[in-house]
Amino acid sequence: MTLELAERALGHTRGEAQATVVHERSLVSRFARSRPTQATAVDDTTVSILAVRDGHTGSAQTNDLSDTGLRDVAQRAGAAARAAAGAAAPDPGAYPGLPAPAPAGAHDGFDAVTAQLDPDSAGHALRAAFDACAARQLEAFGIWTAGEVQTAIASSTGVHAEDRVTDAYMKVIARDLDGRSGWGAGAASAITGLDPGAIAARAAAKVTRDEPGDLAPGEYQVVLGADAVGTLLDFLGSLAFNGLAHAEGRGALDGRLGTRVAASTINLSDSPRSARTLPRAFDAEGVPKASLALIQDGVAHGVVHDGRSAARAGAGARSTGHALAPGGAAEGPHPTNLVLGGGAVLDERELAQPIERGLYVTRLWYVNPVHEKQTLLTGMTRDGTFLIEDGVITRPLRDVRFTDSILRIMEATEALSAGQQLVSEADFYGRRFASGVVCPALRAHGFRVTGATTS
Amino acid sequence: MILALLSDLMEGARGRCAYAEARHVDLRDETLSVQGGRVDDLSHETSEGIGVRVRVGGGWGFAATRDVSAGGAQAALAWALLIAHAQPAGPATALAPVAPARGHWASAFAIDALEVSLEDKLGHLLAAEAALRSGDERIVRSSATLRAWRERKAFASTEGAACTQELVACGAGIAAWAAGDGELQVRSYPLAHGGLFAAAGWEHVLALDLAAHAPRVAAEAVELLSAPPCPAQVTTLVLHGEQVALQVHESIGHALELDRIQLGEASYAGTSWVTPADVGRLRYGSEHLRVSADATLPGALGSFGWDDEGVPATRLSLIEDGVLTAALSDRESAATLGLDASAGCARADGFARQPIVRMTNVSIEPGAAGTLEDLIADTDRGVYMETNRSWSIDDRRLQFQFATEVGREIRNGRLGRLLRNPSYAGITPRFWGALNAVGGPEAWRLWGLTNCGKGEPGQVMAVSHGAAPARFGGVEVGVA
Repeated sequence: MTLELAERALGHTRGEAQATVVHERSLVSRFARSRPTQATAVDDTTVSILAVRDGHTGSAQTNDLSDTGLRDVAQRAGAAARAAAGAAAPDPGAYPGLPAPAPAGAHDGFDAVTAQLDPDSAGHALRAAFDACAARQLEAFGIWTAGEVQTAIASSTGVHAEDRVTDAYMKVIARDLDGRSGWGAGAASAITGLDPGAIAARAAAKVTRDEPGDLAPGEYQVVLGADAVGTLLDFLGSLAFNGLAHAEGRGALDGRLGTRVAASTINLSDSPRSARTLPRAFDAEGVPKASLALIQDGVAHGVVHDGRSAARAGAGARSTGHALAPGGAAEGPHPTNLVLGGGAVLDERELAQPIERGLYVTRLWYVNPVHEKQTLLTGMTRDGTFLIEDGVITRPLRDVRFTDSILRIMEATEALSAGQQLVSEADFYGRRFASGVVCPALRAHGFRVTGATTS
Repeated sequence: MILALLSDLMEGARGRCAYAEARHVDLRDETLSVQGGRVDDLSHETSEGIGVRVRVGGGWGFAATRDVSAGGAQAALAWALLIAHAQPAGPATALAPVAPARGHWASAFAIDALEVSLEDKLGHLLAAEAALRSGDERIVRSSATLRAWRERKAFASTEGAACTQELVACGAGIAAWAAGDGELQVRSYPLAHGGLFAAAGWEHVLALDLAAHAPRVAAEAVELLSAPPCPAQVTTLVLHGEQVALQVHESIGHALELDRIQLGEASYAGTSWVTPADVGRLRYGSEHLRVSADATLPGALGSFGWDDEGVPATRLSLIEDGVLTAALSDRESAATLGLDASAGCARADGFARQPIVRMTNVSIEPGAAGTLEDLIADTDRGVYMETNRSWSIDDRRLQFQFATEVGREIRNGRLGRLLRNPSYAGITPRFWGALNAVGGPEAWRLWGLTNCGKGEPGQVMAVSHGAAPARFGGVEVGVA
């Protein structure tokens, strides 16, 4: 259906062009204070045309699927490409051309039951979360969401590809009347991969009756839960592995490929078919997704590319299947299926055992880069920050601000948990695009706390 | 015609739910970006659809569809009702009353930037971007960007609302990145994050005069590579109006959203350090702090005729002489607080998102400190910071840390050395309590942002903040 629409749209183009169709059906149920607050259902299809003229691109997008709408969007894309070429004439553009077709492997990222988007599934999930929190005299806050996204690409170079994925996500913040909160979340390709009661119970277990203490700024040994690790790695994806930024000398691995950048236990890859990840068959240019080593035994191995960044990099670089938009996003490519290998330590409690005095961090919040090339970030801890004393996770702490470098933390990593978790925030702006990081919890030294939340 | 369709839909919704509203949104959005003498991005987006929100008991249901036919709208209504019924039952809360919205509103502009030829727009950007490339090899990237959009809305409700409105907006900016010796620095004009936006036409872009500012922007990017880092200290901080605007946005605007205060956004955006009981009594800052929320400001991105619940645009005083006087609300949060009217702050991102509490144009009122130059001349020692580079604040909008692209020493009333990687941190009420001067009307202007995120699924909103340069005592700087 979507491929047929893509081919119909391509039929309205002239010359080198790509038509991309994305059809989203999704359901999001929000809740607060153990009451449903908002429920949003979306059913929308967008058709994007990328036109290429003399190495210059122009694009246009519409959700008008009529022949008139498709003809108009094709014309606008063509006009944009001509204007881009005309503005730079006689210089050729930097776009290397649309990729040739290549077979994409199958994946198990579609679930027919999830695609039904049954509102009752949301209702049942919310009730389970409310009950689990009520059992601990806590209120539940969070979302349950499921979606189906069909993507099709047809191009003048012969790409005819179609993909269909589903995803499901639930998070619960359990909170008491004094504002102490705990976090639980789960993500999967299918709603059966979520256990709402268990997610809520995990959140509730992180809310203790103890009065939170303060932690002074300084450097600490830290156990970062998988959610916190996932956030850091997602930022690392754009700061270190963006092939365009790397080629322009702006990337964090500029001059460091082939050198040790992390502890020898760090093995990071982009693995679109790894267990637990949210797979997809191809990127936004129709290039098949494939596994790519990024850091092996602590040594930086490579960056990710789309067609545009590969051309900019030169030296035989090729697209690695990481285009985020047809023709490559202006900000460059980004890994969407990061997997950090696990270690030998059983769990977070065991990770904490060697720590005399440190902190445990459940998750991070409002993280932003301070210095991109140094992968220096700042952000807050949230929903479950605890003191570690004599090897045991003990008292709750008020949230703290950290300002630290991701690569420094990777270098200072002492141990990784054996278990890995899919970390996904499901904060969809614009069209739904489910992605996540599969990672373990870790222990590191020198975690830099730079401020505390006090009124 | 579409308004009649929505009104008919709402006529049919009466009796099937306690309340319903339907919104049709027709959006055209164009982005242009040039880099290194070439067009980097030239894209044009159109979208059209209907979002239907219904209330059944205490639950809401919202369904969005691109099918704008009567049948498509009816299907969306049925889907919204089904979703609302599937929610766990909860107590019904009231909605603050509102007179049915009627009529049409449109923002003012001279030349719609969408109607300017692509060739003219690209020529304008290419000229500005070329002026960034001084030939210095340390400039590794230079860009000029422009975005223009036009949004037409129609709204109807089961309470008899039937109105239409149209917003025309655009903005542009330039940026240069310099790299060397492991350092990466960026300078932007007139704002980071894509430029300065306004509810205005092409005349706004021309007035920015990007090309004239480009040589200075590029030179400062290179100069920052070898500038000394901003030293860690507690000192007087003078902020450019643009950074004041962001500070207002993050530590006042979001903190005063009533849905956050009432814990409705705890799952994502967070809560607030402000409590419902604080309204009317909390000292938020010094006597120099006066803040308003004004959806009637001409040229501002948070202005409209009616919000997305059909509540008419209004001007609201939020903080008077440092004391909190009101919060930002929609109909439900206002009624929950016992207010007799919504503050008119329900806004939605496109047709496929439902309205939530968002800022209108939250502005710090001008003071008596004159221009930026006057403010610097009146400052013995301190640090001046300009152009946001990084921002982070906790989920209660209390502890924050910001970084700017550029800092300068202030010595004896004059700007001194350039400082690299400047940053500052604070606690919201302490920081605003240390406000000791705000620039005057001559230095006050609107700063339009387009990247405010909130809600699940995510919604991006555009809003303007009026601000002038301001000075704060005893601020922790050089924290990152």
